[in-house]
Amino acid sequence: MSDFLVELGKNPRARALVQSLGLPIPLPQALKRERGPWRERPLADATVAVGATSGAELVPALAECLAAAGANPYLSVPDSLAGSFRGPGETFGRPPRALHALSETAKANALVFDATGVSDVRGLRAVYDFFHPLVTRIAKSGRVVVLGRPTDGAKPETAAAQAALDGFVRSLAKEVGRVGATANLVVVAMGAEGRVGPVLRFLLSARSAFVTGQPVFVGTRVRAIAEPPLVRPLEKKIALVTGAARGIGEATAKSLAAEGAHVVCLDRPADDGPTSQLARSIGGTALGADMADEDAPAKIADALRGLGGVDVVVHNAGITRDRTIARMKPEVWDQVLEINLAAVVRTTAALEPLLRENARIVCLSSIAGIAGNMGQTNYAASKGGIVAFVRATAERLADRGIAVNAVAPGFIETRMTAAIPVAIREVARRLSALGQGGQPEDVAQVITFLASPGAHGITGRTLRVCGGAFIGA
Amino acid sequence: MSKQNGGRRAVVVGGVRTPFVKAFTDFTKLDTIALGVAAVSGLLKKAGLRHRDVESIVWGGVILPPTQPNIAREIALDLRLDPGCEGHTVTRACASGLQAVTAAAAEIERGNLDVVIAGGSDSTSNATIALPPKVVHALAPLALGKPSPSDYLGVLSQLTPITEILPRQPKIAERTTGEVMGESAERMAKRNEITREAQDAFAVRSHHRAAAAIASGRFDDEITPVQSPEGKWVHADGLVRADTSVDKLAKLRPAFAKDGTLTAGNSSALTDGAASVLLMSEEKARALGIKPLAAISSWSYVGVDPADQLLMGPALAMPKALDRAGLKLQDVDLVDMHEAFAAQVLSVLKMLASGPFARARLGRDQAVGEVDPDRLNIHGGSLALGHPFGATGARMVTTMANELARTGKRTALLGICAAGGLGAAAVLERVD
Repeated sequence: MSDFLVELGKNPRARALVQSLGLPIPLPQALKRERGPWRERPLADATVAVGATSGAELVPALAECLAAAGANPYLSVPDSLAGSFRGPGETFGRPPRALHALSETAKANALVFDATGVSDVRGLRAVYDFFHPLVTRIAKSGRVVVLGRPTDGAKPETAAAQAALDGFVRSLAKEVGRVGATANLVVVAMGAEGRVGPVLRFLLSARSAFVTGQPVFVGTRVRAIAEPPLVRPLEKKIALVTGAARGIGEATAKSLAAEGAHVVCLDRPADDGPTSQLARSIGGTALGADMADEDAPAKIADALRGLGGVDVVVHNAGITRDRTIARMKPEVWDQVLEINLAAVVRTTAALEPLLRENARIVCLSSIAGIAGNMGQTNYAASKGGIVAFVRATAERLADRGIAVNAVAPGFIETRMTAAIPVAIREVARRLSALGQGGQPEDVAQVITFLASPGAHGITGRTLRVCGGAFIGA
Repeated sequence: MSKQNGGRRAVVVGGVRTPFVKAFTDFTKLDTIALGVAAVSGLLKKAGLRHRDVESIVWGGVILPPTQPNIAREIALDLRLDPGCEGHTVTRACASGLQAVTAAAAEIERGNLDVVIAGGSDSTSNATIALPPKVVHALAPLALGKPSPSDYLGVLSQLTPITEILPRQPKIAERTTGEVMGESAERMAKRNEITREAQDAFAVRSHHRAAAAIASGRFDDEITPVQSPEGKWVHADGLVRADTSVDKLAKLRPAFAKDGTLTAGNSSALTDGAASVLLMSEEKARALGIKPLAAISSWSYVGVDPADQLLMGPALAMPKALDRAGLKLQDVDLVDMHEAFAAQVLSVLKMLASGPFARARLGRDQAVGEVDPDRLNIHGGSLALGHPFGATGARMVTTMANELARTGKRTALLGICAAGGLGAAAVLERVD
């Protein structure tokens, strides 16, 4: 499922030709991705420009994270905060340098701004001052991350200033998407400073290629994990992936297995061939069950009980039966809601006693469930339901250290989207900040991150993996 | 204090090495086995041992001859040692010489052996230039069985383009990163903010100290003269420059990067040479009436990600070896570090002195400590003496053991960095 325009854009001559002739052809930037298991220093030798205002509270966490991940920090921060970079710099051989020491022609792989100190509207000017000169210097597939604080309980003006960051980042995502870069806001609750490291590490890495234009909330609701592993995060963990035979499910099973998990690959008995083949190739277990069956949860629970419980559950199985509601038959409505939502609800209930401490549940929502989509009332209803389902389940299971989240893919290049008529598909691909569809691996990477111990700051949330869909939350 | 096994302790009773000379000079016609033979025969002569006393040879090497990789055994056979003197060869990149010594010590402590010769050698001048695997694979049908004319044609068709089948210049590059070691060290210099001036000053000190040691006769006991096949006797190390200065080194051009700080002057040179160490169990040494020079208290080997800071290993290995010996850095009288590059030694020293480094990388509250320059590499190091890869560890053990025995100092800490992101360290202690 290749995208002709992305492929064309990889050819520098074609790119130059299209641009010089002024042809109205978008040439999306091929995204830099990272395959293979997590690395200890995912940002090795990356140039990261760091900005902060006085009163910024996440600078120490940021300094530690960047140096340990292998990045070279270039600072534009108040002198009183620069000291935080010295120790980590010494430890990892990543001494901080002044931003103006970066050569005029050098590109920055990431721009990170700690805006937690911004408490009024005037303070937002610092955000402009930092990004205005730098945004044109962002490297291809670069990263922008802004750090902020939650607005609840804040003074009205502070709340306004912090919420302004949200709109800022969403718009910036659309501006930098041209070069394959992403922009996200990380909203860190008081007391969650120690949990922001893994989130930054992920968002700044090439593994978050299709995550852009959204806030990511980091809180303290689930139990903190002391020193979450940086590599092989899922060693000794048992994972279940439903709908594993192909597409996002297959990519997820592979990605979880690459991080050390034993993956139970579940799909319909009719897909036994590809499911078994996948399970064999990743050293997992194949399980045949139809999620539409009422007794599927019991069957899954039996299998997982035999393995001693489960640490990661990925509810990926899902179907589309698109029709405008006027033309939709009732059984089609039922079928989609049954598999995409009811099955998730009852399977989660059946697996609840089997979830081990610090388990992670990841459900698949969809951009359609958030923004709506023509002809998908049934699908969007089921996927919209997921958003609240994870929020409520997260609350229920938080005391057991279990985090529950959803990912909402946008246009992903799968068998499902390949079936869309070519004209519509072509438009759908371009309707995002990155101007292209995502790969199943892009979703798998986000799921794997949410399944990892280091995602202990995130629960009850829905993360979009949509490349900054034109219409989207 | 030293690691005991049934009360046994491995001691160093002597050490002899060949002069170290620049590759493609006097020793060009001596391969690594011949160099090893020269060092071991010098050692045997000096120790006054009967041949049959030597039970085993453990030898270290980096560039091993492809068809005779077990050079330890070849040395024993060439020297007509007792046929019962077995031998094995170890390789741990630049820590191979130390690896041979600690492997011998482990055999002795376990009670398997009483008298072992350990050491190492390398001859960069005799590195085999290999044909690319593509050629070897293509030629296989001709080497095996009876080739038909069509086989010959098949081979010819596989041997294009010609650039892919030419023998490659041998290069000491990391297999995983493709970087030659100087490039990695160049990056370390930048990342640890080691200036050109500091590197050059360190290199000059190495040369001046080595020159002073040579002039004072300090190495006379440790070096055996070697006659080259051309008949020339080589008595002294060939790379040491007594007359070098910071001003002279400042004129050299960067060797690994255009805007770099590493030069031929502050990097160790490709060198030919061998070094050997005689180890015994303490009881055996006493029974033979030999006073040991030093005991091996502890050792440690570590690995780091080659893609990160390739040559930082000693910063992790040295504290570990100290812990195992029950010592702190400030208790140690002498520190001897292999000088692959001045930048690498200075980077490691910086890490040892860093509190944040100790907390994050070693899990301890306090920095390991500052190394007193007056105790560090007191007779120079690899920058001045040269670095025949497999020999360096054995040279360091010999020089430090002699220093402890001569001066009455108590302890010496050794640190070596090696390709593959390896680090090695050992602690020697005086034997009273």
